[in-house]
Amino acid sequence: MSTLLRLDNLSRDFFGIPAVRSVTLEVPQGAVLGLVGENGAGKSTLMNMIGGVLPPSSGRLFWRGAPYAPRDAVDAAEAGIAFIHQELNLFHNLTIAENLFIDGFPKRFGLIDRRAIAARAGELLADLELDATPNTLIEELSPGERQLVEIAKALHREAELIIFDEPTTSLTPRETKRLFDVIARLKTSGKTVVFISHVLGDVAEHCDHLAVLRDGQLVAKGPIADFPVPEMIRAMIGRELSGLFPDRTSIPQAEIVFAAEGLGQSGVVENVSFEVRAGEILGLFGLMGSGRSELARILFGLDPHETGTATLAGARLTGGPGRRIAQGMAFVTENRREEGLMMEAPVAENLALVTIDRFGRLPAATVDRAAMREATEKMRDKVQLKAADIASQPAKSLSGGNQQKVVIGKWLMAGPRFFILDEPTRGVDVGAKYEIYALADRLAAEGGAVLFISSEIEELMGVCDRIMVMNRGEIVGKFAERPFSDEAILAAAFREVAA
Amino acid sequence: MSVTSLQKDRRGRARPPRFGSIPRKAGDLILSDFFVLYLSLAYFLVLVPFLPTLTNPANLSNLLSNMWPLLVVAVGQTFVLTVGGIDLSQGAVIGLTSAIAGALLATAGSANVLSNAPIWGVLIGEEGGALNGVPGAVWLGIAAMLLAGALVGLLNGVSVAYLNMPPFMVTLVGLIAIGAFAIWLTQSENIRPLPEAFIKLGKGDIVSLYLGPQDEPRIPRRQVYSFVTWPMLLAISIAVAAHLLLSRTVFGRYVNAVGANRKTAEISGVPVRRVIVTVFVISALCAAAGSILYSARLEAGRPTLGEGAFLLDVIGAVVIGGTSLFGGRGKIIWTVFGVFFFVLLSNTLNLMNLSAFVIDMVKGAVILAAAILNVLRTRLIQERTA
Amino acid sequence: MKRTSRLKAALLGATVALGGLAGGAQAATICFAFQDLETEFWVAGHQAITSTLEERGHTVIERNANEDANRQFEQVRDCIAQGVDGIIIIPQDGESAVTIVQEAQDNDVPIAVFNRPPSDLSRGIVVVADNATIAEQAVDFLVEEALADAPEGEKLQPLIVVGDLGDPNAVGRKDGFYNAIEKQADRFETPIEVASEWDAATALANLEAAVTANPDIDLVFTSSDFLFPTIRSVFEPRGMWVPRGEEGHVIMGGLDGDATACQLIKDGYVDATGVQDLYFEAEASLDAILSAIEDGEYAPNEVIEDPGFALTSENMAEREMDMWGCVLLSEGFLDQ
Repeated sequence: MSTLLRLDNLSRDFFGIPAVRSVTLEVPQGAVLGLVGENGAGKSTLMNMIGGVLPPSSGRLFWRGAPYAPRDAVDAAEAGIAFIHQELNLFHNLTIAENLFIDGFPKRFGLIDRRAIAARAGELLADLELDATPNTLIEELSPGERQLVEIAKALHREAELIIFDEPTTSLTPRETKRLFDVIARLKTSGKTVVFISHVLGDVAEHCDHLAVLRDGQLVAKGPIADFPVPEMIRAMIGRELSGLFPDRTSIPQAEIVFAAEGLGQSGVVENVSFEVRAGEILGLFGLMGSGRSELARILFGLDPHETGTATLAGARLTGGPGRRIAQGMAFVTENRREEGLMMEAPVAENLALVTIDRFGRLPAATVDRAAMREATEKMRDKVQLKAADIASQPAKSLSGGNQQKVVIGKWLMAGPRFFILDEPTRGVDVGAKYEIYALADRLAAEGGAVLFISSEIEELMGVCDRIMVMNRGEIVGKFAERPFSDEAILAAAFREVAA
Repeated sequence: MSVTSLQKDRRGRARPPRFGSIPRKAGDLILSDFFVLYLSLAYFLVLVPFLPTLTNPANLSNLLSNMWPLLVVAVGQTFVLTVGGIDLSQGAVIGLTSAIAGALLATAGSANVLSNAPIWGVLIGEEGGALNGVPGAVWLGIAAMLLAGALVGLLNGVSVAYLNMPPFMVTLVGLIAIGAFAIWLTQSENIRPLPEAFIKLGKGDIVSLYLGPQDEPRIPRRQVYSFVTWPMLLAISIAVAAHLLLSRTVFGRYVNAVGANRKTAEISGVPVRRVIVTVFVISALCAAAGSILYSARLEAGRPTLGEGAFLLDVIGAVVIGGTSLFGGRGKIIWTVFGVFFFVLLSNTLNLMNLSAFVIDMVKGAVILAAAILNVLRTRLIQERTA
Repeated sequence: MKRTSRLKAALLGATVALGGLAGGAQAATICFAFQDLETEFWVAGHQAITSTLEERGHTVIERNANEDANRQFEQVRDCIAQGVDGIIIIPQDGESAVTIVQEAQDNDVPIAVFNRPPSDLSRGIVVVADNATIAEQAVDFLVEEALADAPEGEKLQPLIVVGDLGDPNAVGRKDGFYNAIEKQADRFETPIEVASEWDAATALANLEAAVTANPDIDLVFTSSDFLFPTIRSVFEPRGMWVPRGEEGHVIMGGLDGDATACQLIKDGYVDATGVQDLYFEAEASLDAILSAIEDGEYAPNEVIEDPGFALTSENMAEREMDMWGCVLLSEGFLDQ
């Protein structure tokens, strides 16, 4: 099997810190190469160098044996490399066909030849078994369908190498299966695929080869058969992981920290009542659209509710986020990019955001910068943030897992009693997931109460003391005893949907 | 090295310029807070041999005095841009508050000129403005100007923060409606004379310099240069206070946070709406303060003050300084340098004695070059943090 | 650019005659700060000054304030810092002119204000056009023409389109009109006044109403020439837009002397227009400032009145080229 792309001693530094160190790797033609590693291991940097987004600090690339030095993404696309990012690169207000042809419309008599576009687009969509007409607007498609459009775009540009970066994060199980069918077909038609994912089971099942990055270095590579999942994890984190979940170090106490009583908002949630005790992690499971994130927003005062009350340590919660934070609440939202971080701002500014008023000194609320620096550096160590210079490094330069630690860290600065974690491990690698679970456990152990919202039933079963299930805005089941039965939980979650 | 030219790829598509090959030290310089200052000084030094009058003390004194009022207004705009908004109504606030100053402070009134104006007989009559002769009139007049400015700012801020209207639309309406209101008030007439105490705020010297020979019997007046002036003191105090407010206080962090990511700020407990309202009030207050300086130095209340291209000077100076039009990145010190650059540019173009037709073209070209440098900065930042 | 360069050539021709008048003044540097070049009138005024100065061997430094009084103030101070010998300004308005004149005089630089008078005439060299006199001259001619054809004993109906009466120019023009009419008060009905607020649309609406109410109008005076097209659009459908010598011609006049008016006089529709003598004003302000420089006088104060003149169907032949609008017209200004 010939080598399509060869990486020769490739390195890249940021702020003097190596992100990728002397990586030498062959990407064999017509196969699926799995690339795994913890967040911050250098996967994205490596791919950005291949995709022309970043120039390497040193080392070289060879494409079909010839030196290859893309100056930008356009160069890479012309060579035949397509990149399917986590955040898709589509114009939502345009049709599928227009997105496919955005960089060069076929013309007839000087006008866009709509018929030719529709015909070619129809062909591509049929190949990918995407059941939509070329004139459908992107905004009308589901995330999985959008991804197929992105793949169609790659095929339309005759890409030879297609790189998928965490392609399954926002897909339903059915869409995920269809994606793997498509990848299998790409392989049979001779295309080469690089598949980056944190879902190690998928990697084991669908890849032919594996490359593992750790701390910017290539620590293992070979045929997939040599790497059962535990072996992959060992290579990724460089040690044995005793389990996927840390042991719980506390048990729920009698004191009720948070209580919701008959919360309701028509069309959103209905008669929601529950309580969370000190030292307890309460899981909230629900499918997409079950109202779990909406409930979280109501609890935090971001959206209104018509009926019911919420109390924290006996005191009734009122007002917006500012007041509730002062009363001891914290909220890690499911969307850290849009609601959790100031991506361009330095890490330290992000960490200090929630508690910035506590660093104000009279008379003009001048920020005590020394105190702030000390506190944020302490927090960096506490959440084990991998960031060199938090005072100048922007949040967006961090990997997904470290970004999530910044979000959690900024709330920890406030010392909250009641913590809402909404999908805290989405898009986060195995090692960082473990650390986030450990942080949740520590919150509880220090007397806090945690509401852990997730659509991954395994993690809820792994870290929660109790699990409640939400369906169509109502709490439809509470499961108090370990071991939990995933079948019972799923049954509750699906009950009314099926009915 | 083609830094600024657009390269074409094989299919003839234009592609953005690449800056990857810029040496690290040059990059550090470009990213420095003082970059625009260095740029201005370099520009200054390059031109000195060709424009001998540039370093003439009278010219330096002019250069400074032109800087102060613009700086005061630009400081306010910096806050609004940092929070991710824009304030187009600043010019109209300047006109409105100038008209108010005239109506309240004029030491005489002329029925010939003003009898058609709605303020005639209400705020101003033959015996002058309503405050004429009242003890502390100048301070009361200034208070009224600031109050009027604050009200406009409040209106802008509430519309943006609570009614969720886009700042561009809100302040565009302000620009049109308040500008028209100011002109209606005086029927487009300018009101003078203003009291000496007020005029002093716009052009009064505190320290003047004479650099000529000591034994001259009569010192020629054109050789006495303003050095420390009231506008200078006012503008510097406002800029220093604004700098501390924006960079050192909790409120300043709030402003930056709202500009960087409004949703994140809201969820993190930042009082987003209050911050937005405050910022628009600050912007309008700064416009009113600028209006004091401009009105005083022209010695008249002018409803049309601040009209036209003035606003572009303000926003241009702030953005060239480095403050982002998209919010989340703004510093008063950048604005100080941006304003300096702008004023220096106008001054040098004047000194070049180009035809009036050429000056605006050259000015446009230089601003374009500065904007390209700004793009370069943004790309460099991205490249270093990608 | 093409328009102005050709214009400049024409104006050079028109101003050569002035060159000899102030001969002898040594070469000086004059700062010419004008408020804008938005209208053809100001383009002509600007050219009249710059070409005259250059013709006499002086250096001209131009400053365009783009209708911003503050900018003009800053530009004049830049000129002072540059050490110019004298300053000529076309100010944005009368009030800022006072401040700027004072700034120049405080710095011992002689200054002249051209064409738009400061609200305080006591300082600086001020060249003012007397709107009342100019209007009166034009209306005198109209009255004469109207009475020549009118049967004895019949009273004629005059009409005036007035400007924005907040503007002193409009007031002066109206006064001049009445001065001329009142000389023959027994031959005229009370004039009909049509308000324009210096706005073509307002003028159109009010004129329509006035003409509908009083269809028999014998004499029309508009306070500005720019309203002639408006008058035409009201008169033409009613058969009142007829050239001189034909049945139904309404005696018509205006003030300003723009290119359109020049053409209309040539075509016979308009009988007279009052003209500011731009070339006289340019020449007078230059002479005054140059002689002040020569005498070492720092703060010359003088009011120079421009009596203006009426360009009429009679004197068209000899005075055509003294009127800026006709100069523009001869340059093909209206063809573009």
